[in-house]
Amino acid sequence: MDLIRVLLNRFAALFHREKLDADLDEELRAHIDLAVEENLGRGMSKKEARTAALRDFGGVTQTKEDFRVQRGLPFLEVMAQDVRYALRQLHKSPGFMLTVVITLALGIGANTAIFTLVQGILLRSLPVANPSQLYRIGDKNDCCYYDGFQNDNGDFDLFSYDLYLHLKQSAPEFEQLAAVEAGGSGFSVRFGATPPKSMRSEYVSGNYFATLGVSAYAGRPLNENDDKAGAAPVLVLSYQAWQTDFAANPAVVGSTVYVQTHPFVVAGVAPPGFFGDRVISNPPDFWMPLAAEPLIEEANSSLKQVDELWLYTLGRVRPGVNVGALQVKLSTALRQWLVTRPAYTGHGGAALIPRQHVVLSHAGGGIQRLQQQTGAGLRMLMILSTVVLLIACANVANLLLARCTARRSDMAVRMALGAARHRLIRQSLTESILLSLIGGAAGLAVAYAGSHMMLALAFPNARNMPVHASPSLPVLGFAFFISLLTGVVFGTAPAWMSSHEQPADALRGVNRSSSDRSSLPQRGLVILQVALSVVLLAGSFLMTRSLRNLEHQDFGIVTTNRYVLQFDPKGVGYTLDRLPALYREIEDRFSALPAMANVSLVRYIPLGGNMWGSCIIPQGSPAPGPNDKCFAIWDRASTHFLDSIGVPIVRGRNFTAQDTATSPQVVLVNQALARQFFPNQDPIGKHFGLNSPQYSGAFEIAGVFADFKMTNARGEVGRPLFFRPLAQQFTGYKKPDEDAAEKSSMFVNFIILDFAKAPQDAETLARRTLAAIDPNLTVIRFNTYDSAVAANFNQDRLIARLTSLFGILALILASVGLYGVMSYFVARRTGEIGVRMALGAARHSVVAMVLRGALWQVLLGLAFGIPAALFAGHLMGSLLYGVSGYDPLAFFGAIALLAICAAVAGFIPARRAASIEPMQALRTE
Amino acid sequence: MGENKPDVLQGTLDLMVLKTLEGLGPLHGYGIARRIEQVSDNGLSMNQGTIYPALLRLQQRGWIKAEWGTSETKRRAKFYSLTRVGRKQIEAETENWERIAATMARFLAPSS
Repeated sequence: MDLIRVLLNRFAALFHREKLDADLDEELRAHIDLAVEENLGRGMSKKEARTAALRDFGGVTQTKEDFRVQRGLPFLEVMAQDVRYALRQLHKSPGFMLTVVITLALGIGANTAIFTLVQGILLRSLPVANPSQLYRIGDKNDCCYYDGFQNDNGDFDLFSYDLYLHLKQSAPEFEQLAAVEAGGSGFSVRFGATPPKSMRSEYVSGNYFATLGVSAYAGRPLNENDDKAGAAPVLVLSYQAWQTDFAANPAVVGSTVYVQTHPFVVAGVAPPGFFGDRVISNPPDFWMPLAAEPLIEEANSSLKQVDELWLYTLGRVRPGVNVGALQVKLSTALRQWLVTRPAYTGHGGAALIPRQHVVLSHAGGGIQRLQQQTGAGLRMLMILSTVVLLIACANVANLLLARCTARRSDMAVRMALGAARHRLIRQSLTESILLSLIGGAAGLAVAYAGSHMMLALAFPNARNMPVHASPSLPVLGFAFFISLLTGVVFGTAPAWMSSHEQPADALRGVNRSSSDRSSLPQRGLVILQVALSVVLLAGSFLMTRSLRNLEHQDFGIVTTNRYVLQFDPKGVGYTLDRLPALYREIEDRFSALPAMANVSLVRYIPLGGNMWGSCIIPQGSPAPGPNDKCFAIWDRASTHFLDSIGVPIVRGRNFTAQDTATSPQVVLVNQALARQFFPNQDPIGKHFGLNSPQYSGAFEIAGVFADFKMTNARGEVGRPLFFRPLAQQFTGYKKPDEDAAEKSSMFVNFIILDFAKAPQDAETLARRTLAAIDPNLTVIRFNTYDSAVAANFNQDRLIARLTSLFGILALILASVGLYGVMSYFVARRTGEIGVRMALGAARHSVVAMVLRGALWQVLLGLAFGIPAALFAGHLMGSLLYGVSGYDPLAFFGAIALLAICAAVAGFIPARRAASIEPMQALRTE
Repeated sequence: MGENKPDVLQGTLDLMVLKTLEGLGPLHGYGIARRIEQVSDNGLSMNQGTIYPALLRLQQRGWIKAEWGTSETKRRAKFYSLTRVGRKQIEAETENWERIAATMARFLAPSS
């Protein structure tokens, strides 16, 4: 109680210092006067009275000092004093301050920028109630429609609806267990008279919002009743979508929108800041209940397919539940279910069932797909940016050391006058920390620009991504903390050194000393900088080469001068019977455009990131067991498709106009498929089918084309792949879901335009042409095929660019550091050089002396740097493509670049040394 | 200069000031210092100036308050007086001091 009162009193006194000082003066004067009066009364003379009064009082100045210590908060006052002094000193050397602030801004800014991304992607929790209670059944990245066993080790992370219900029922330890679509879809949504827009959606179970503990901003969230068969179709909009696509119109809630031409009532709007169950570059614009899935997908629905695995499960665990035991229980429940499914027990599958299990993973940060994809890259960038910061700190420390040495006499005088060592250190540190806080504040601007650029590069097609470039509170805290730490790191050594001056020494002849205790740490810092720069340069060479390998590899297809147009006939309501006419019209109209060499239609473009696959069964083969590799991906394309992407036919024939709906079903297969399924035979004329042996005669192989990369841009060429003609629908499927899947495969999504000579504005031309065919057919996306392929490497490109940027930064900082040290070296030894030259040393030997000094530092730096770079290369190995972590070209490149810059950095001061006039040098003492 | 006068401890000076103000009523800094000197019969070595940080401390704690006034000799000086809280504090501090003194006395008494 007392303490608080005292502190408040002391704090308040800080603001009235002058008045309180005047008061005290007056009071003390009164005291002395009263004492003098009394002494006069005792009979002393005026002079004696005064002397006696002062003697009895004690030291007036001391009393005032003691009073002031008692009155204010000395800690704060001293710090304020130090800060004011530091600011005055910095004001006097603006060049120094600017250099330091810019250096620190770059270093701290780079770190903060990367931390912004790390915090936004890796470290944040979902904006839901109690995220620590959320768990996901499953810990991998599999997506999006599977059947059969997953993952060689039996780790199940995708579930069918039936399996989800079974797990939900067997685990009351979950307060709530929700199921969400593993992927997500883009659907055409129409509201009122405006043309339909493509929006992202996610199917979720009725208890989704209840599981996450999220209520609605307007209207209501989804509930269990919406998820029953036959319930009226409703959806919930995201707040972002409501703002941007519906202009925040409150009338939208309760009105009807048309999703893929099906009417849905908008039940509500999710709260602002809520983006779903995972951090992703395109979060859902709206959520629909699982029960609505059969409505939209119709016969293609996955909900009722007991064995179709397409859902992730996410739940809230009751407090106090043992997660390990729950995991075991769920794994047992999984196996119980698998045993009842013929798809898993047949063909020897039963032997694999005991290995199947689930893993419970924390889901407080959401479903970790993006985190798993970008985690390694982000962590590496964090380390690299720390290295850049260290190099920047080394430069600043060097500058400070040089400055301290220049102020030696200043410090010496102070110490001679009685300043305590710790006081000097404190003052020095305050100056360093002040510099570094200013640098940090400037760094925030760099960080904002940096993270903005990084997000644009890494996620160019992002829409409403929940990661923002603007600094959030944790990021600001990080920047502040890093600035503080940086200030301490580079400020400690100079502060320590400056306080260890011997006053007498310094006063005797500061500039004359030939030994320079600060030169050793300065050189040490330069060696450190060189070493770290080698690491960064080698790293950036490696990443750049890796990127070039990725981008310029031979994918097996030709993409130059081709344009890709994405559209969605199914979404705007085209039925199967209207497709042939549509396709014909598209081909005719686009072919009629000037300079059009080839037009083709395809369901999924190669390297577009999407594909469809099935298990194929050659005619005469038995049904494949669970361990048999029977998977092949397939696509549907128009007659000239393979020509339009430059893929040659190596055997047999291409599609022709004779492959119609009524002619025999033919396919074109790639070499890999032929090798795997028809080894040592001529595949032409052979038959195979999908799903089960009864269909194994469905398709006849008419031709074989050369292998190319269809989906995985980094993987091996040579996954079995086949193409089917646009017009040919296989009508022999007995099961309705198989038939429905076949029907939906008839719809294409892409038009590839191969211009002989690219027109000025291909996009408007294409849009106009498509609109002329049918104004309802909107263009979802239009870009060059090259950029579509390049989109596969967005993150690699970002990392390569950033590491190059860091490498350049490091090189500049290290060169400037070396230049600074050598300049300083020359400046301080001007006298010595003058003497040498006066005694007959030639100019070139002076130059050699300076360069030798520089050379030693560089060599030592390389000696430390190369092993470190090799180690870094080893760590980076997994991120590299087509180049090893120890690539000699990258290392020689780094060393060469560093050597050149060091040579230039050392040469300039050396020349200055050589041009010193001996008489002038001797006179500058 | 004669025998070594013991130095005055901080806490004891506070109590002396409080007792002085209790006995003599509102008084200026010089008066308090002279009174303490007299009562201690010059048995304590004390620079008069040390009274001022003590007075500030007591003010910060809220045990005394200060007001500018005039002395008998028509001089402007700052007068200090006890607050209600300060008056209560005297009892507590006195008790404290007596306890310490008694304990010390036991230590210093010849062992029996």
